[in-house]
Amino acid sequence: MAPSIPVTVPDYKNVPHSYKLPVAHREVVRTFSKLSRLSLISLVHQWLTKKNREFCRPYLKADEDPNEKDRQVYEPAESYEDLQDIYKELAARKGGRKEVVDRILEGDWRNGISMFQLATAEVHHLLEHPGALRWNARRLTKIRNPRLLETDMEVTNESEHLPRFQAQTFMMNLAKELLPLMKAHLFITRVKTLPMTILRVYMHDSPYSTEASLAMDTSGPDGAKAVFFIWPNGSPFVFVSLSTHLGQAVGDEGRHLRDVVDQAIPKAFSRPSARYQLLGTNFSARTLTALLTYRGPGKTNAAAGGWSIFADHSFNQSVLDYITAPRPSQEKKRASDKESAAEAVKPGPGRPKRVVDEMETLKVKRRRKIAEGRFGSSAKLGDGQGVERFEVRIDDPFPTISNSNGLQRDHNISEISNAPAGRRSRRGRPPLLDRSTEDMEDTRNEDDGLWIPDVRLTFSGTHVFAGIRQLVEGGAIDGEKMPGWMTGEAGVTLGSVKSGRMRTKGEIQGV
Amino acid sequence: MATIEELDKDIAGLRNRISRLRSHRSNLTSILLSSPLLTTRLQQRPVTNERCRRSAAKAVKQQSNRNVENIYRACAGVTAYKVKDPDPNAVDDGNILGVRIEVPVDGQFIETYHVLFNRPDPIHPTMLKIHKHTIPPCIPLQALANKFLPVTDRDADTTTEQNLIRFGRWLRKELVSWHLRIATVQKLRCEAGLSGKASEDEVGPERPSIGQILNAFGGDSEEESDEEGHTASKDGPVQIEHIEADHAVREIRITWSNGQTGVMKVAKDGEVEKSVIRSRNGSRVLQIELKAVGRIEGLVQRLTEAGAVS
Repeated sequence: MAPSIPVTVPDYKNVPHSYKLPVAHREVVRTFSKLSRLSLISLVHQWLTKKNREFCRPYLKADEDPNEKDRQVYEPAESYEDLQDIYKELAARKGGRKEVVDRILEGDWRNGISMFQLATAEVHHLLEHPGALRWNARRLTKIRNPRLLETDMEVTNESEHLPRFQAQTFMMNLAKELLPLMKAHLFITRVKTLPMTILRVYMHDSPYSTEASLAMDTSGPDGAKAVFFIWPNGSPFVFVSLSTHLGQAVGDEGRHLRDVVDQAIPKAFSRPSARYQLLGTNFSARTLTALLTYRGPGKTNAAAGGWSIFADHSFNQSVLDYITAPRPSQEKKRASDKESAAEAVKPGPGRPKRVVDEMETLKVKRRRKIAEGRFGSSAKLGDGQGVERFEVRIDDPFPTISNSNGLQRDHNISEISNAPAGRRSRRGRPPLLDRSTEDMEDTRNEDDGLWIPDVRLTFSGTHVFAGIRQLVEGGAIDGEKMPGWMTGEAGVTLGSVKSGRMRTKGEIQGV
Repeated sequence: MATIEELDKDIAGLRNRISRLRSHRSNLTSILLSSPLLTTRLQQRPVTNERCRRSAAKAVKQQSNRNVENIYRACAGVTAYKVKDPDPNAVDDGNILGVRIEVPVDGQFIETYHVLFNRPDPIHPTMLKIHKHTIPPCIPLQALANKFLPVTDRDADTTTEQNLIRFGRWLRKELVSWHLRIATVQKLRCEAGLSGKASEDEVGPERPSIGQILNAFGGDSEEESDEEGHTASKDGPVQIEHIEADHAVREIRITWSNGQTGVMKVAKDGEVEKSVIRSRNGSRVLQIELKAVGRIEGLVQRLTEAGAVS
């Protein structure tokens, strides 16, 4: 028998951490071109720690091929410790990013970047640029078993209402779901700085889980091959990012693989007699801090907008605080308020000051007060909780004009609006905002004869609610008449408004 | 140059002193205003300036209101208040009933939680619905609301019974027991000689923010790499290396220096119900497992005793 010729057969194995991609692989190049010098160096240090060495084997002196000795640019290091020293030295001195990238890709890891390294690099980039991806918040919801309805909702000393997240069990189940359909490299890590766990799934569309097939796989137009999932600790939510690079077109094949991963997640969570499904929560944002504020483990989930004062202690003093006199800190704040208010009304540099300023200042002050009342401590520029896009559909009837002529006219128009089918099938509309048949029924029952036009509003910007707050402070929006959903208190980025309020499904917000 | 630094230091010192004195002054003010004789004295004795008397009376009133409020909050634990929803489209003219829950742990009030109710139904004006709240999602708020505050349909004739008092009581119990569990785990860490939170790893100051990688095992060489990390501590006495708890503190994970790991399930009242402890080679360590069951408070002690025996 011929001594072992490697045979590739389809199998049911995960792609292990230590498998390498060639340094010229598109994924490797893309990931490494995004990282800064400092983060590259800190990544290298992480790879070289004892527990990770297994997965990130560098090119050392021992691996050297004597024939190629003359042609190499980078001298291979003697040992891991040597290598650590080299990168410590690189960290200490200034230089370009390119220098480090070249050293990694052409020198110390010229044989390839392992899956582990690629994953850590991407997670690192994600944490350094929390706005790099677009996230969609979903919720793991138990599917009700009609037979167990009573015991399901019971609150006892032992009861558990959140899905239990056990990394090992979860990964095992996930692999079981995924592997027959594709090969995947799974990487799951707990983040120190933020209360969450990140899962990265690198999808490899092949029946083989060998290193060679990994390296081969550069075909196909789909760019991103990895998807991210984030579990905030102690909450039923999951943040999903299905496109790894913003603005990237995803082909059908890639989308299909993503759907497979997406559907595998709730299945991997389920146990016998506790089945879960992922439901949308109508919230998406780009910054992780915003996600953690609106769908996180803390107190702020259902106290957004003006209600934020209840979450951050500004509504109540501490129980043991008996001092009623204004505190030094408060006094200072008041003084600075005055100053900034005065500054705000200062006209442009060229114009002379007017006498009416006194009046203006009062008005500005009043507007600031109103904004404070409506937005509380939320919606401030630079708080990192910005929502980039906020879409609403108004389901209220068009305000009727009170004279008799108006009524007549309204009646005529209502006939036109009852044929929205043609309009709705038009391309380019966000389908999520379309009225469901249920909604249609609802509105028809309640307000027959009234004209309900299909009005949709989209706010977009870097921090939508901070912008609205500024408009209130600037007097462009009447802060007192502004509906509550414009302050962001509904805690959604997609919703429909009925009788001036964001429609809810009867559930308690944010649990 | 030195003089400038000195001056800066002087200024900082003075600022410090000013703020200290200010807080002392406000403290004294509130003590003075709380004096029980002050009101009667202000009312009965003649004063030269009527306006000053009025403002003084106002300050006294404010202080006594605060005192009453704080005493109620401290003693009752669950208190109610009324606020107004600023939304012009709010139901029921924006009338909101707030319920405030204080959490006392270790002689301190460490947190205050709020649940805000509105009355969405004009037909049944006594029906309350949770409008906003600051309860973390690890507390079963929805389940409690379903149990004690069921909401009737708009058209239903029969009103379902709502019990706000029992709701508040249960919610408070959940919140306080959660905070007590958190505090206890912190104490366990101290007992085991682990300094609070971060206590590991030899990387540099530019530590990456990626924490523990949860699936960094697998591969054939697992044994080997594990060995490498632990050889140093193998000879010494077996110690607890990590105590971790999930967010709701219903599960505690303990790692020992000899590679032994354990998971304990904790009930809400702080009773360790079940435990699984496995040694490095995967076999269960029954004698320690049995010892782990019991109150959460003495867990570390029980475990170390059991570990010493075996």
